[in-house]
Amino acid sequence: MSWRKTRIRITRTLATLASVVFLALLLLPSQAAAGLNIVATTSTLGALAREIGGDEAEVRVLAPPDRDAHYLDARPSFMAALRRADMLLEIGAGLEEGWLPAAQRGANNRAINSGQPGHFRSADMIELRRSITLDGPNMGHVHEEGNPHFNADPLRMAQIATALGERMGQLSPDHAAAFMERAERAADRLRNHAETLAEKVAPDQRIVVYHEDLDYLEEWLPVEIVGYLEPAPGIPPTARHLRSLVSDLEGTEGTILYAEFQPPRGAEFLERNLGWSSHAVPLDPPADSSLDGYLDLMTTWAQTLPQR
Amino acid sequence: MPRTPYTRPVLAGLTALTLAAPGAAAAQWSAGSEDSSWGVDVSLILEGIYFNELSHGNDSPAGFGDGHDHGHDHGHDHDHGFDDGFNMGHSELALNAQLGDLFDGVLILGFDDSDIEVEEAYLTTRALPGGFQVKAGKFLSDIGYINSRHPHDWDFVKRPLVNEYLFGDHGLHDTGVQATWIAPTEMYTQLGVELLQGDQDEGIAAFDSDLPVSSKSGPRVATAFAKFGPDLGADHAVQFGVSGGYVAQTGLAEEHGDHAHGLEGDAWFAGLDAVYKYSSGRAYGHGDWNLKGEYFYMRQSLDQYEGHEHHDHMDWERAGSLATKQDGLYLEGVYGFAPRWEAGLRTEALGLTNDAVEGSHHHGHDYFEVESMGTSYRHSAQVTFRPVEPVFLRAQLSQNDFVDDHGHRDRGLEFMLQLNVALGAHGAHRF
Repeated sequence: MSWRKTRIRITRTLATLASVVFLALLLLPSQAAAGLNIVATTSTLGALAREIGGDEAEVRVLAPPDRDAHYLDARPSFMAALRRADMLLEIGAGLEEGWLPAAQRGANNRAINSGQPGHFRSADMIELRRSITLDGPNMGHVHEEGNPHFNADPLRMAQIATALGERMGQLSPDHAAAFMERAERAADRLRNHAETLAEKVAPDQRIVVYHEDLDYLEEWLPVEIVGYLEPAPGIPPTARHLRSLVSDLEGTEGTILYAEFQPPRGAEFLERNLGWSSHAVPLDPPADSSLDGYLDLMTTWAQTLPQR
Repeated sequence: MPRTPYTRPVLAGLTALTLAAPGAAAAQWSAGSEDSSWGVDVSLILEGIYFNELSHGNDSPAGFGDGHDHGHDHGHDHDHGFDDGFNMGHSELALNAQLGDLFDGVLILGFDDSDIEVEEAYLTTRALPGGFQVKAGKFLSDIGYINSRHPHDWDFVKRPLVNEYLFGDHGLHDTGVQATWIAPTEMYTQLGVELLQGDQDEGIAAFDSDLPVSSKSGPRVATAFAKFGPDLGADHAVQFGVSGGYVAQTGLAEEHGDHAHGLEGDAWFAGLDAVYKYSSGRAYGHGDWNLKGEYFYMRQSLDQYEGHEHHDHMDWERAGSLATKQDGLYLEGVYGFAPRWEAGLRTEALGLTNDAVEGSHHHGHDYFEVESMGTSYRHSAQVTFRPVEPVFLRAQLSQNDFVDDHGHRDRGLEFMLQLNVALGAHGAHRF
């Protein structure tokens, strides 16, 4: 029958086409990677990896710094990047749980599997603060392991830098000494800069934040978190919650901080009713930053507060 | 289709291994740990649907009625046809475990108020070199886009017509093996092939055992697919897919007391799919866009058989051959019009090309013939509210504009209210 022949012809054409595509892809130079190919989920981690890796590492950041890293899509481009990675650098503790496992699984790359040296989970290297998601009603957003927003803490980032330098050295032994030296230097700069900034801030500052994503400021600046704009983590501010915040904080002094991607309405309400100043701040440095970008971000955070 | 004598034992072995995996992994239960690298994640998805048929139209689209629910007693009502009033919807219990970094094991049980079904039970390798991955067990085929997604990932209450009527009430969903390869390129490129048993009750690979032709040994379905996703920066993401498959045996039989008639043959299908997502960067999905569409085309090449009862058994003879051509598509868009609120529209066409099998009666003689039939449409609009991350409430209005086998068009209107809650360690979503 003629259409059976057509089908055979179509099948042959398709098979030929497929083999040509397959060969072309196999033979394509898989991007002459300069040294370690590192994929970092957030730009804070990317900044550390760039500082430590220098010219011996190529760093790609997945999460755009002006987006909430909780809620991203496991994009095809993420899987393409992870497919070629020697190392995956993540925050962990549930920050990327909505998308990273799918991207990691879809990358077909053993080097970055959980448990492999090429998988660096920052939360495993440090002690976490307790997450307030454990207190409230369980709304499907519970960080049992602890608060994953430690990118706001340069002291913890310093610890991570040291651990990261060591790990990168394991993956690329030829450069182990250089990585370790740069990691130590980065850790020192983080600690010193934190100390310098903290000394300039007026003592006993009280702040209201949107989510628990700036809680770690308490760890290195003279601040105390006195309220959250969200009634429970992951739930947008409600009028009732904002009114109760106002009545609790009336007559006191403080500052309101929230992330650039969070809606400003709650902060504006408090600003009007309490007379506090409010600031939208970035949570991570620009995507292509090295350590300087992160140090600048620390300065931005510290300078939203009244200075001595 | 080329088949080696090894295929069957290999398939059987891999399937057995897959079925055993969740059991073995359950021994290393570590509930509650965020670091789930070595434990079992359990999630429960519960769904309830309120359904109201505002006006009744044609029940099924022309040219697809026969192959769809012909002669098969499903024995249960897990076919997602809703009753007026409250319905259990489609609930799932999903277990996900890792065997070191060698395998992922997945078991997904789908259930409603009366039945439990193993929807998926498979192992995927995680440690193959060179960007390869093998999946074995019972799984949803990766052809197209919607076929491999579970209902709680959909943006509309019901499965698209093209997927339901070409591949069945659960899509192309079968036992077999899949191999995929991710190219080490800047642009996401995935190539995959699947060998499936072809054990389908409905759709393109359904086969009726009453036919005089012996059932070919499995695997009877082979598919291939490719997906491409260029990097478009932080705001835009897109994925294009092309897929196709060959079905070595398909067929149906109809008995009418002292005589019967049937069709047996092979089939192939091919399709295109695309998905585009825009991320506005604002909180709670406000301003995000999500557009997708799929087109599938299938052809069947069938031999006709006529049976006459003779001394308590049916004597069959071959009587000519037929070729069918059918297709379908859908396009849908969803927009986050406010924080936590989405609205979407979907338009579907089934049988733009619709040269389908039709039962005819002429001079006291029953036989099948191919007839060119009309196109059926369905249009849906939905509004979804997501009060907290794992919960959504969706209201949907659908107009069925189906043409029947005799060319009569009749419109029906349906209203659906869907509540879907994901409890436990809800896994990450694929793009």
